[in-house]
Amino acid sequence: MSGLLSLHEIGKTFGGLSALSGISFEVRQGEIVGVIGPNGAGKTTLFNVITALFPPTGGEVRCDGKRISGLPPHAIAKRGISRTFQNIRLFSTMSVEENVMVGRHCRSGAGVWRGVLRTRGQRREERGIRGKTRELLELVGLSDADPERTAGSLPYGHQRRLEIARALAAEPRLLLLDEPAAGMNDAETQEMFLLIKRIQSLGVTILLIEHDMSLVMKACDRLVVFNFGRMIAEGAPAAIRDDPRVIEAYLGAAEGDDDA
Amino acid sequence: MEWLNPYHLQVASFMLINAILGVSIFITLSTGQLSLGNAGFMSIGAYAAALLSTQHQVPIPVGILAGSLLAGAVGILVGIPSLRLSGVYLAIATLGFGEVLRAVLINWESLTGGAVGVAAIPQMGRVILSMARDGGFSPESIGLRNNQFISLSVFLVLLLCTLLSAAFFLRLSRTRVGRAYTAIKLDESAAEAAGIPVTYYKVLAFSQGALLSGFAGALFAHTTSFVSPGDFTYHRAVEILVFAVFGGSEHLLGPVFGAAFLTLLPEALRAISEYRYILYGILLVLMMVFRPQGVIDPALLRRFRRSPKETAA
Repeated sequence: MSGLLSLHEIGKTFGGLSALSGISFEVRQGEIVGVIGPNGAGKTTLFNVITALFPPTGGEVRCDGKRISGLPPHAIAKRGISRTFQNIRLFSTMSVEENVMVGRHCRSGAGVWRGVLRTRGQRREERGIRGKTRELLELVGLSDADPERTAGSLPYGHQRRLEIARALAAEPRLLLLDEPAAGMNDAETQEMFLLIKRIQSLGVTILLIEHDMSLVMKACDRLVVFNFGRMIAEGAPAAIRDDPRVIEAYLGAAEGDDDA
Repeated sequence: MEWLNPYHLQVASFMLINAILGVSIFITLSTGQLSLGNAGFMSIGAYAAALLSTQHQVPIPVGILAGSLLAGAVGILVGIPSLRLSGVYLAIATLGFGEVLRAVLINWESLTGGAVGVAAIPQMGRVILSMARDGGFSPESIGLRNNQFISLSVFLVLLLCTLLSAAFFLRLSRTRVGRAYTAIKLDESAAEAAGIPVTYYKVLAFSQGALLSGFAGALFAHTTSFVSPGDFTYHRAVEILVFAVFGGSEHLLGPVFGAAFLTLLPEALRAISEYRYILYGILLVLMMVFRPQGVIDPALLRRFRRSPKETAA
């Protein structure tokens, strides 16, 4: 079995505190895998480990069979893994358009001299970046937004979409979405569901952290469930819903909600 | 041509050299790095150019180029370990670098002339004048006295250098590299996750700033024809930072304006002699209270850019 992303015995400790331990699973080309679990279960830490913002303290991450743990974050983006953040992290004073253009960095190459001299190749590349940017803004439903407007001044839901456009600009094969529907109402969540499906239909594999269970159940092909930094279940959404360990993790949270 | 006053031209020349220093601090600031090492890098460029021309008779442009490149290379060496630092810690480390460098300049007497400095550096204007005379051109033919011609030619050379430096980095700011700089300034780890090699660009910006400071230093040496360690003290380092703080650090024109204005101000206030620095200080305090982002910010520039269109419509 050759997964696009495979995790082997991933561990992450902060000081003496274990945030993740013994995490192993695979994500296959083309699927949407949901990562669920109570707050503090280690879901976002998992994303930080995969994208190397926090390198793992044990185990290894492989992409297409090649080890990527140990590489710096920008190299991982170049290998085809992009992400969004739970607490939106746009470049707030840059324009909407520029935010997406930044995401295109690792798929373009004009350096200082070609940039300053505006060589023919550099101008062609910039046109390409702008074209791709327009295309992505349209894909995420922001084609009506003023591209010159600063990203920080966009409404919240649009900021989430813009962040997805920025991540897609790097042409990822695997997209990590960290609570894309957080704080959204039912209609907006439905739009987000459609967007996630559209991105999947373009051939992008997706790893999704989300608390909205109806979205998770509808969107995901498979789920992995985390609790206290460990993976407690893995399987199809319907099976996970009836798994007693999962029910306990969620309903038992009242006793153990000290955010491990 | 009587109105062409060599003193005014000299003040304008210092405004231009300081404007280049303003651009240099802007570049490092544009990646979010607060460096106070620019006075130190300026001294590298100044001494390299001065010593090459006085001791090895290297042509002035070659010496200026060599001084700038040397400062840029030292910038890479200082920039790499400094990456571990940010904010005020980087400021303190780079300030320390400048002071160590100054101690070296004072104590390495056999090379640098110690505290006395290097004198009799070929002055750009005089060299241009003698070249003009050799070429059969005399300033009198266009109604200029020798000292007017010298000051004017220095001013024009510096104007060209300033415009080229500013244009270079203005153009750079609207490219892939410029976007990477801004992204790093706004959120380093989001930039890294978006595929930008942050380390590479921070060192690049740091050494570009160092190179440009060295360039300004080399031009300074060939303008004043005398350099000493006293030209590159802590005060100079802070003065360069004040250009950016006063003028604004969000756009390249901010520090350029700050440099020009703050260089002109004490000269314009000469009439009130010792009180002028009090006024200078009050102005800075008022700025911090009422316009902490500096005189020039993106909102101001947008208003300027839009108003001609609106009045036309």
